Amino acid sequence: MIESLGLTKMFSEFTAVKDLSFKVATGEIYGLLGPNGSGKSTTMRMLLGILKPTEGTARVLGHDIKTDIVAAKRVMGYVPEEPILPERLTGWEYVNYVSDVWRMPRGPEREEEIEELLTLLDIRDASDDLIETYSKGMSRKISLVAALIHGPKVLILDEVQAGIDPRGAATIKEILNGLRKKGATILMSTHVLEIAEQMCDRIGIINEGTMIAEGTMKELRLQAKGQSSLEEIFLSLTGGPDMQKIAEFLGGVPS
Amino acid sequence: MIVLLRQDLNQLFRIRRTGGKRTEQESTFKRLRPLLFAVIIGVVIIWAILTVVPLFGWSRIALILLDNLDIGATLFNFILIISLLGSIMVSATTVGNSQRMEYLLTMPLTMRTVFLEKTIVVILNNAVLFLGIGIPVFIGLSIASYAPLAGFSVLIFSVLILSLVTIGVSFGGLLGLFFSRLLAGRRTLKQVGWFLGSSLAIIATAVYYYTFYTSDGAGVFEWVFELARSFGLSSRFSPGYPVSTLSLGILIGVSPNPVDALVGLFFIAFGLLLAYVNSYVSELAHYSGWLASGSKRTSAKDVRKTHTSWNPQPIPGMKFDQTVSVSIWYNISTIRREGRVLAQYLMGPIRFVIFLVLPFVAVGEYAMGLTPYFILAAVVPFAVSYGVYFAGYETVYEGRNLMTLQLAATNMADYVKGKVISAIPFVLITSIAISILLFFVGPVILPYLLGVPIACVFICLAAGAIAANAAAIGGDFRAERSVLRQRGAAVQMPIRGWSMLRAQLVPYVVGYVGIYSMVGVGILVTTLYGAAIGLVAAYAILGLFGLVCYSLYNHYSHSAGIKLAQIEASKYL
Repeated sequence: MIESLGLTKMFSEFTAVKDLSFKVATGEIYGLLGPNGSGKSTTMRMLLGILKPTEGTARVLGHDIKTDIVAAKRVMGYVPEEPILPERLTGWEYVNYVSDVWRMPRGPEREEEIEELLTLLDIRDASDDLIETYSKGMSRKISLVAALIHGPKVLILDEVQAGIDPRGAATIKEILNGLRKKGATILMSTHVLEIAEQMCDRIGIINEGTMIAEGTMKELRLQAKGQSSLEEIFLSLTGGPDMQKIAEFLGGVPS
Repeated sequence: MIVLLRQDLNQLFRIRRTGGKRTEQESTFKRLRPLLFAVIIGVVIIWAILTVVPLFGWSRIALILLDNLDIGATLFNFILIISLLGSIMVSATTVGNSQRMEYLLTMPLTMRTVFLEKTIVVILNNAVLFLGIGIPVFIGLSIASYAPLAGFSVLIFSVLILSLVTIGVSFGGLLGLFFSRLLAGRRTLKQVGWFLGSSLAIIATAVYYYTFYTSDGAGVFEWVFELARSFGLSSRFSPGYPVSTLSLGILIGVSPNPVDALVGLFFIAFGLLLAYVNSYVSELAHYSGWLASGSKRTSAKDVRKTHTSWNPQPIPGMKFDQTVSVSIWYNISTIRREGRVLAQYLMGPIRFVIFLVLPFVAVGEYAMGLTPYFILAAVVPFAVSYGVYFAGYETVYEGRNLMTLQLAATNMADYVKGKVISAIPFVLITSIAISILLFFVGPVILPYLLGVPIACVFICLAAGAIAANAAAIGGDFRAERSVLRQRGAAVQMPIRGWSMLRAQLVPYVVGYVGIYSMVGVGILVTTLYGAAIGLVAAYAILGLFGLVCYSLYNHYSHSAGIKLAQIEASKYL
């Protein structure tokens, strides 16, 4: 379970996240949605202990991120939006390296698991290549393998499906659904609202660092007064495109 | 920690071949080249010692070593100072770029462990040169020695040198972090602070030369060691002293003094403590966001943004072609906005001045009358280095941005020229400052002072273009992604091996030949034909020198431009 308890993050005078509270239950996929710069990644980085909350705290499986971060990190797996990985390692070396850091016992069993994940995500053929030769999608896939290999109970995924081919995206979807059934707690952010609608049990929409709506799809529809799709709900809450300005840019072409 | 260290070293000194099809395979020779090079150097050093020592006899060598343990201490303390000077910004840079280590920071480790490991990598990187040369020297001497335990000197030397470098790197890192903390969140103050720091360092160097000029004419070596003594560099309780007495002492068969052994142990423990404190403060700096730039961001709803018309004038009063102009603006803006990078660039040449010019100074009291020429020599490292940093390094640090430039189908030669020109304001400021100093201490050079800043501008033009060309050939365009090569890191250069030599050597030769030809010819012709003709001759040489530099600038900018336009995206993506 993840519990965010009034998380606030200020960068100088700019408030990136403001008094953010939400819960992600065990066995639940929670979608954190919001426009660019709304504070999603900052929230995730605070949960991961990379950024210090200016105020508030959070608990990951009961471990307070301010006082017990190493224990919290031990149960978490994370895929960043832009994975920056050690480029002079091969994919195979990197995943083994991560496994060693998580103190997974070495041996054929671990190697089989790694092979299985690499095959599942279609990256086994490139696993002996240096990471510097990987495309963005491949880097994200190897980052996901590294996040999953130590069997995390909590997964934090920042735009995990962006830049991934359709087959890979479908595989990830199935893996996440399977992990949810096994009791994993998953917090994910995405800009693909279709994915959020299909996969997430509950959704939180944040704008300018503040939670503006939260609930299941049904609850969100009620809050948005009759809007049916998540896209419509999202746009009604965060503001849609300025059609007048778009028409002006396009030279007066009616939309 | 061990796992992290092993993987970092694996990445730094990768010898094993990779099995993948996408990876460009390097030949076994290329992969083993650094190791082979180190082994060959080591073997040559040992062979040289074993050849030379019998010529003098070991007893005589042992006596010389015994009589000069103080000098040994001073030299070892210099190693510490070199490590410290080279590492002042290393921790702040690591913390500042820690977003690149996100995959490490999310691992079930304390951040302290991650930063400690990075500090250890920097320590090993700093120590590798001293150990690479020092170990073969001690092996050679211990083979030649008659002392029964001489072999242990290799081990003692290695451990104690590591502790010296640990102290230097950790303390330097802490200084940088402390400075960052003082100026945290105050962007303008930070930039002014960095600039003042750099200026102070420049003034300190100048004062050093001035003091030297006005000293009583004692032998320079004696003067240097006297100065070292007055700073406590040969003190029994300085970190270098136990390295000297214990390692050299055991080599010549002197029983180790318990006090020296205790002092040695103390400094080992002190080094470890400093490394730990450095990682602790780095953790604090990262987690608390000390290094945040302090820039304000406001919501578009609150403030209606308005922009003035885009017409940057990077060098007031000068008009350039649009590509050149935007390149100057981009270069100065990106460097200026990173205070630590600006400080690194401005302070960098001071190291060259100290380490390159000092040995020339140390030729004895006969050199006293030559002081103005030594001060004149100091302008060249500034002119060359600013060219190399602003045009060479910054070309490499374009990194992924090269794609934008290549897609823009702009004239890359003009873009390179912009980078070179962006260094000129800094070269002018420094060379004018040094000229003012020369005005007071070097009346003999007075008639040519006007030519000094002009010559420096020409040197910078040539150096910058040559460096940009070298960068286009041997730049590591992914340098930003390496902890040790990234912008602002003092440890490693973003231009590799021979290309770096190419970037530095030719400009130095051109610079020194040019500036000394101008002054030398001026003084010679003045002696032979009078002051007026001497002056004309000197400035004629300057004109000729300017033409040579300008043609080098045009040639190499063009060459660099073509190479940059043709670089494959796989080199920088």
